[in-house]
Amino acid sequence: MMENKEKGYFALVLHAHLPFIRHPEYDDFLEEDWYFEAMCETYIPLLDIYERLTGENTDFRVTMSLTPPLCNMMTDDLLRERFRRYYNQRLELAEKEVIRNRNTQFYEVAKMYERKFRRIRELYEDYYHGNILDGFKKFQDMGKLEIITCGATHGFLPLEIRKEAVYAQIKIAADDYKLRFGRGPRGIWLAECAYNPGDEIYLKANGIRYFFLETHGIIYGSPRPRYGVYAPVYCPSGVAAFSRDMESAHQVWSAEMGYPGDHRYREFYRDLGYDLEYEYVKPYLHQDGVRRNIGMKYYKITGKVGLNAKAPYNPGEAREMAASHAGNFMFNRERQIEHLNGFLGRKPIVVSMYDAELYGHWWYEGPDFLEFLFKKLHYDQKTVKMITPSEYLERHPDNQMIQPSMSSWGDKGYNEVWLNASNDWMYRHLHKAVERMVDMANRFPNADGILKRALNQCAREVVLGMSSDWAFLMTVGTAKTYSTKRFIEHTNRFIGLYEQIMGNRIEEKYLADIEWRDNIFSHVDYRVFSTGAQERAAAGARQ
Amino acid sequence: MTSSGQLNNKNQQPDSDYKSLPESYGNTEAALLPRDPNWMFIYWEITDNSKANLAKEHGHDIFEKARHVVRVYDVTSADSSKYFDIPVMIDARNWYISVQDGGRAYCCEVGLVLPDGRFIGIVKTNTVNLPTGRVSEVTDEKWMSVSSDFDKLLQISGVEHIGKGSGEVARSLAQRWEMLRSVFSRAEAWGVSSLSSHAPARPAAEKKFWLVADCELILYGATEPDALVTVAGRKVALNPDGTFSMRFALPDGNMDLPIKALSRDEADSRQIEIKVIRTTKNDGK
Repeated sequence: MMENKEKGYFALVLHAHLPFIRHPEYDDFLEEDWYFEAMCETYIPLLDIYERLTGENTDFRVTMSLTPPLCNMMTDDLLRERFRRYYNQRLELAEKEVIRNRNTQFYEVAKMYERKFRRIRELYEDYYHGNILDGFKKFQDMGKLEIITCGATHGFLPLEIRKEAVYAQIKIAADDYKLRFGRGPRGIWLAECAYNPGDEIYLKANGIRYFFLETHGIIYGSPRPRYGVYAPVYCPSGVAAFSRDMESAHQVWSAEMGYPGDHRYREFYRDLGYDLEYEYVKPYLHQDGVRRNIGMKYYKITGKVGLNAKAPYNPGEAREMAASHAGNFMFNRERQIEHLNGFLGRKPIVVSMYDAELYGHWWYEGPDFLEFLFKKLHYDQKTVKMITPSEYLERHPDNQMIQPSMSSWGDKGYNEVWLNASNDWMYRHLHKAVERMVDMANRFPNADGILKRALNQCAREVVLGMSSDWAFLMTVGTAKTYSTKRFIEHTNRFIGLYEQIMGNRIEEKYLADIEWRDNIFSHVDYRVFSTGAQERAAAGARQ
Repeated sequence: MTSSGQLNNKNQQPDSDYKSLPESYGNTEAALLPRDPNWMFIYWEITDNSKANLAKEHGHDIFEKARHVVRVYDVTSADSSKYFDIPVMIDARNWYISVQDGGRAYCCEVGLVLPDGRFIGIVKTNTVNLPTGRVSEVTDEKWMSVSSDFDKLLQISGVEHIGKGSGEVARSLAQRWEMLRSVFSRAEAWGVSSLSSHAPARPAAEKKFWLVADCELILYGATEPDALVTVAGRKVALNPDGTFSMRFALPDGNMDLPIKALSRDEADSRQIEIKVIRTTKNDGK
């Protein structure tokens, strides 16, 4: 019985998310690049790894959230076309660069980009025919990947006052998931790991069996958790919560000690968008012609030197380092799990949670690291078994019952990142929109025709305004103008439609324009915001 | 991610959506939000109509005569009637509220305290349950089994498991968590200026009776949303509705806070000077 030899489990959880950014009103829109970069550097490289491992018969397990905004972007025709334009431009530049850099110290790295962009095109077009969700679904159906959902627009639930809003975030997400993956989600990533005690009843009502918590969500739960974060707990409603292991998080994340800071890895801040001759690089910049990062970089971190003193990047050397770091990470997990097994008297589960975009976008060699890690865990040891939360709960259905604490994975552990002087002005507007949405859903139980269209669009605008991303970006000061504009736009579009609906004077042209701009959740049903829907769901789940 | 935060302005169509948000919604109402174990955020709107009614009932000078407060009720249990008042200005429209004890339920009421001590409540908030922020004292364990087909919940089972004492594990993990948190707190990366969010603590000295007190300063105001505002020479970021607020530590001594607003076309300006003097006398016992 090989299966019973392991001393514990390791669950890798990657949270893939971007806010819904899609601007048909522009030919060319800067912030849409976030999605294209993440596609080229993280999402498609991860699929590339899964393809290769499967081809080699290497078993692996990974849990990935693909948030509803991301799923909607991945299947949107306009963004598909723009993504094709993006990678084709990059490939064209990479091909030119291989010729330009022949016989220079940048030849290897230039060739690497050419190879990677070709592979992106091959996977995107030949393997998945423009729909990479099919790729993720394939690995889910094989049992290697567990795809989980997230609140409809990554809404920050502890700062919602109306339970109808919490229910709507979960229900819209679960419906969207079913549409894409052919079955309901078993797990969910609560946006920002933000948990408000009691909200899990709405997870249960949607058939969701588990979610994730930051470490102190369980450590500060009551009664005390017998196994700390090394076993899931059940909330009183019976929904399971898995909690984050900080030791493994620290190894990767830490600014000073973490792997991504190694001097052989690629330097993020030295980019061809600034290095190349202006006329030569201009076709690959945005229409405004301003120099920005274009995602192709030729230098390594090198050390604590200025950007002009960086040494050329050596892809082979960096890949070896990624292998070595994967070995170190595995060694540490083996020792950790052996130790915990003796200490706890039970097989522990170590849950490592990361933003997916860390792997590839911020830490360029991150996908290599993961591929090596999967291989090493499969071939080189027997102590640690990779597992998904669903598999764990099947094997170990007995768990302690605890009421976890309110918590989030943001700075200081609670809600401050999303509620401080830079963004607290949002909430009176957001809550008013929710309240009006609920009132309308209650008032019009059977709308049809243009009224139904207007109400559905109101639901889209409310959920888009709820994205935690806007408040987050205001706090960190990155893209503050854009995030403020987005929040104000969605709120004003909602107010405009609300006034037209209540005044019984819906303007078809105005509505059609907004539908064209904010086309997320094409199947949304505004009645998801009705008080009855929320109350019935909660009552059903409490039985 | 990597945005420079710049919008592509080229070919930008006139966008009717980008107007500022309503200043008010015409309802007297208030809401309370949890921030962390010791802090909450309240916002409120009090309509001119409500103010007029109060003036009609209690006299036209009621808002000058009475103290404006947020009354904070501890509503953890039905019989608890504990509360305290935080002095505010009604026109501030929002406030951060610090409480001594996490893990309790609170609700607030914006109102007026008359010179004779009577309280006139204007508007009440929802109730907020704050997290405790520490390891639980409760050690009774309950176990549950959830069937593997995932859809039928079994009843709570009192399964006893062997292992170390739960308190020990939880405590050691909590310590490690605190340590790791302090080592790689993302505070710097987030760029969040950190307010001290700890309520005054009981001194360690072995005195039976004790008192600690401190105060902070909150400055707030409003102007045209596109104006340039400085406070003591430092540029202040305005909210989209033109309001602003800042919070200062307030040590003993004099503090000058000149507030300047410059219109967008730089044709007009306004200035308000606030001087604050703090003197703390401690009987030294």
